[in-house]
Amino acid sequence: MLIPKKISQAVLALVLVTVAAFGLACSGDPVGKNSGDSGGGTVQLQGQGASFPKPIYEKWMSEYGKLHANVRIDYQSQGSGAGIKAIQSRTADFGASDAPMSEEDMKKADGEILHIPTVLGAVVLTYNLEGVAQPLRFSSEVIVDIFLGKIKKWDDARIKADNPNVTLPAKDITAVYRSDGSGTTQVFTDYLSKVSPEWKQKVGTDKAPKWPEGIGMGAKGNEGVMGQIKNTPNTIGYVELAYAKEQKLPVALIKNSSGNFVEPSLEAVTAAAAESAANMPDALHQSITNAAGANTYPISSYTYILVYKEQKDAAKGKALVDFLWWSLHDGEKYVKEKLYAPLPPDIVKRAEAKINSIMSGGKPLRQ
Amino acid sequence: MSEVSVSGKNFRRVVNTLMTSLTAACAFFVVATLVIILGYIAIRGVTSISWQFLIDTPKPVGEGGGIGNAIVGSFIMMLLSSVVGLPLGIAVGVYLAEFGDGWMGNIVRFVTDTLTGVPSIIVGIFIYTLIVLPMGRASALAGGIALALIMIPIVARTTEEMIRLVPTSLREGALALGAPQWRVTLGVVLPAASSGIATGAMLAIARISGETAPLLFTALGSRFYNYYLDKPMSSLTVQIYNYAIGPYDVEHKMAWAATLVLMALILAINIAVRFFTRQKV
Repeated sequence: MLIPKKISQAVLALVLVTVAAFGLACSGDPVGKNSGDSGGGTVQLQGQGASFPKPIYEKWMSEYGKLHANVRIDYQSQGSGAGIKAIQSRTADFGASDAPMSEEDMKKADGEILHIPTVLGAVVLTYNLEGVAQPLRFSSEVIVDIFLGKIKKWDDARIKADNPNVTLPAKDITAVYRSDGSGTTQVFTDYLSKVSPEWKQKVGTDKAPKWPEGIGMGAKGNEGVMGQIKNTPNTIGYVELAYAKEQKLPVALIKNSSGNFVEPSLEAVTAAAAESAANMPDALHQSITNAAGANTYPISSYTYILVYKEQKDAAKGKALVDFLWWSLHDGEKYVKEKLYAPLPPDIVKRAEAKINSIMSGGKPLRQ
Repeated sequence: MSEVSVSGKNFRRVVNTLMTSLTAACAFFVVATLVIILGYIAIRGVTSISWQFLIDTPKPVGEGGGIGNAIVGSFIMMLLSSVVGLPLGIAVGVYLAEFGDGWMGNIVRFVTDTLTGVPSIIVGIFIYTLIVLPMGRASALAGGIALALIMIPIVARTTEEMIRLVPTSLREGALALGAPQWRVTLGVVLPAASSGIATGAMLAIARISGETAPLLFTALGSRFYNYYLDKPMSSLTVQIYNYAIGPYDVEHKMAWAATLVLMALILAINIAVRFFTRQKV
């Protein structure tokens, strides 16, 4: 024995572990091809993207998995930006995003990407005001001026005018906004840009805009904004509907383009999509903030699944289109319980056509 | 004269008592912080822990679900990062201690120290570019290597410190007996420093078991049990992150419970380190 026993044992153990790890632990899928066929005919699909639709996507994937044991669909939420990046780089089989892909984003992908709208959501205004029990009402001009820092006090005459029966405190307003890039912010600032030329010029529509100085504070994620508002008196901020509902935060009524104060109900969100459906472009994505119509909630939006029109792997592509089809039809019954608004019927039809156009090797995947 | 010395004595006594109680207070503060953190996590987490929770996979909100796949995933990736990171780290440490006195050693030492300070998210992005993009998918392999990259500098530096503690007389004795340099290093120096190196290794493992950022873009996470290294894999930290940022209170509770499991795991590693070192010394 040249080398001491202890060392040689350790080296042997290491070599064994390494060999075992690399020999046994690879799935046998060719790397880079991201093949769907592995492990006895099981098709695996990987999705990545927006956190907003995660609860409903997970529900769909779970229910669909119960019906189709050979299809395993996974979804990880790291934000809309990550979803777009993942589909561009093909590190996921489908992406998910609240905001549609820009022209530039589309150019960076190595194929045509389709937007399939799945559900609708609402961004709501929530606040922390002691002694105010009934929901507050806001007109779009007031919201703009609060977030521009022009309205500084809760008992401002213009807030009072919309809420005549509410005793508002003479306290400073602290606005809470997202400090991270976010689809929620994109929808919220898109709404503000539509209702106010001043906002459009000064701040604009962005996932992470440059907020005006001194209006309040930033927080990371919906959960961060929610936490700040819960713990800080006299705050106001915007979160996704599910966060406000689940955490029982007060939700403001917002004056829509027809002059009605509308609660963010699922019906009002679907109505906003239905009113805008006639103008839906072929790309099947549009902004539906500040929609026309008497009962539409003005800060509503679609969320999309992003897929390549030409699927490289037929087995995977087939599983994907079948899952998408199932989600829009059988999956719809789970939508409302998860606090999302279902798509209007016209849009479902248009989405069906999009799903039918997905191909592999020149052949449509859905017959 | 004598009065002055008496008052001087008293002053010293007062300062002594003051400083002793001050250090005692600091020690108490540190211990209390740990106890409060552990206690708070235990109280928040313990109610949601059950066998089902420990073996189940994540489910849609409201249907239960657990962290079984995350526990398995964390273990697999920790094992992988140890297999990759420990030998490399120890080898670098040996080099630095035994042969690293020249300019080359100083460069390696400087780079290692810098690497220790690199934020873990940067390591994650680096591995994302290096492994995930060319491979075309996130994988446990990428996650394990990202963790290994964090381990290497820690292990290297502790190994170096431990080897430097080995008396020169041991090396000289072995060399005098005619052993070549490599046998002295492998056969005499390394075994003499082994318990200290093991401590450093265990601490590095404990450190990476709490990392989330390098795994987010590399191992990604998964809803399923996965044993393949070339597929996305769940881990405790990423699962805690996923549970914690959602709107649902049930998921927040699961995040606390998963945190408790992770704390127990890290605590177990730390206790193992203590036990290991006490036996040897």
